[in-house]
Amino acid sequence: MTESTSTTINVCPAGELPSGEMKLIEAPDGAKIGVFNCDGSLYAIEDRCSHDDGPLAEGPFDVDTCTVECPRHGSLFDLTSGRPKTLPAYQPVATYPVTIEDDTVRLEIS
Amino acid sequence: MNKPPDTATLPASAKELTDEERSLEGINADYKEKFGFHDPESGYAYKAPKGLNREVVENISEYKDEPEWMREFRLKALEHFMQRPTPAWGGNLAQIDWDDIHYFVRASEKASRDWDEVPEDIKNTFDRLGIPEAERKFLAGVGAQYESEVVYHQVREDLEKQGVIFLDMDSGLREHEDIVREYWATVIPPNDNKLAALNSAVWSGGSFVYVPAGVKVEMPLQAYFRINTENMGQFERTLIIAEEGSDVHYIEGCTAPVYSTDSLHSAVVEIIAKPGARIRYTTVQNWSQNVYNLVTKRAVAHEDATMEWVDCNLGSKLTMKYPSIYLLGERAHGEVLSIAFAGEGQHQDAGGKIIHAAPKTTSSIFSKSISKDAGRTSYRGLLEVAKGATESKSKVVCDALLLDEESRSDTYPTIRIGEDDVDVGHEATVSKIGDEQVFYLQSHGLSEEEASKMIVNGFIEPITKELPMEYAVEMNRLIELQMEGSIG
Repeated sequence: MTESTSTTINVCPAGELPSGEMKLIEAPDGAKIGVFNCDGSLYAIEDRCSHDDGPLAEGPFDVDTCTVECPRHGSLFDLTSGRPKTLPAYQPVATYPVTIEDDTVRLEIS
Repeated sequence: MNKPPDTATLPASAKELTDEERSLEGINADYKEKFGFHDPESGYAYKAPKGLNREVVENISEYKDEPEWMREFRLKALEHFMQRPTPAWGGNLAQIDWDDIHYFVRASEKASRDWDEVPEDIKNTFDRLGIPEAERKFLAGVGAQYESEVVYHQVREDLEKQGVIFLDMDSGLREHEDIVREYWATVIPPNDNKLAALNSAVWSGGSFVYVPAGVKVEMPLQAYFRINTENMGQFERTLIIAEEGSDVHYIEGCTAPVYSTDSLHSAVVEIIAKPGARIRYTTVQNWSQNVYNLVTKRAVAHEDATMEWVDCNLGSKLTMKYPSIYLLGERAHGEVLSIAFAGEGQHQDAGGKIIHAAPKTTSSIFSKSISKDAGRTSYRGLLEVAKGATESKSKVVCDALLLDEESRSDTYPTIRIGEDDVDVGHEATVSKIGDEQVFYLQSHGLSEEEASKMIVNGFIEPITKELPMEYAVEMNRLIELQMEGSIG
């Protein structure tokens, strides 16, 4: 039996991630993760489009629909679930829990 | 030293065509008379100046009195189009001058439901193409697009009463905005590729089809697309939604006048087959040989749904088209049947893509191509089985027939398999008409010409047999033209 371990990463002071903004960070294992503020709610997804493994998080971010668009082929991802809302991607991307503690945005990676 | 004889002095027998050459001599040789004519443009309602910019896109949206979200969608797509480089793969697109194209031409002020109300020149054109006759004989509904917009649209009353919607796309957006907006660009987003971005920016016309749950449309719906203007771009947009357990067959045909300069046809077709639905989409592409045909077609098939593309490419200068199917639900089934014919100056870069994204999904791609007179055909395909799509089955068969030494055929298959428990097969052949085949048939009393004709027809028969009889007859007629040596 294996036991899952999780790591908490400090992303930035809460004031540096206002609504409509995204922070791209690098996890200890080198993986990149985008942390988004959708109108006060924070979400994090891996920076990898499931269509062709290209970068995702720096694509157009729509705060009203809480989606990010892959800059390479236009798949629209729901930031709350990581699921694609349009093709050509059809598989979800990984999501991560985000919290604010002590006025700091924190990301939990398992 | 004796000078060798030049070709002008060779005996007639040495210049005669081979059986294979003769067997397809004359395909579309009567194109100019039958389809290649053009009408005067004097009565046109509007013709945009050549070139593409923000103003042209805004004008199209304004003329159509579209909702704001569609205007924004177009403008965003225009940015994608401008930012993307012209594809350097597939066919040669370097000769397309994006600034030398009319992106919107309105021939008639409105789409009519009565042939008598269609402007005279346009009506005569569709009469010559046999569209009203076909509607009377065997179709459940017809749309006729002339230049950028649909000029005639009709669907049988009994289907309308069952809730079937078959409209031109502009009317579909006006009358059923909620449905259109829910599905619009979910299958092919504007930034999918450069040509999809172009279509998204300047789309006009096309079909909107909605089939309610459980409704089976027994006879086909047909759309016919006609380009008349020189240096014209036609960018129709089609959206088909088949609700649970429904069934529909959509057919499209297309022709254009023969001009010395090039025109562009760049469509986007999005298809959604809900659980248990069945959709067949048949194309008989017969553009004149000055048309670039660059089309994005994609379908999604949910649980137990079936999606079939029957794709026949005879015309155009260059076609780049790879109808695709995403099998998203368990036991969904997808089929691509493709015929491509490339004669002198033609390149048919066709194929199909199937993505197995759920367990127990099944698919097949059958591609048949014929090249002659230095024509070029390419099969370009993708078969993908995603992780988790266990017990999926797929078969890809692509056969090429080369009729002379100058012609060319290429195969570019991509296969990605993410599961162990799958059954996948791929076969590819390239062949000539064999002497022994002709000899065998001759020994049964056929002439050489009849034998060649039979072999070519047999080669494409697995696909033509899937066409409605009227279209299969037309395909065979094209083949027969040359077999009889009647032309050329």
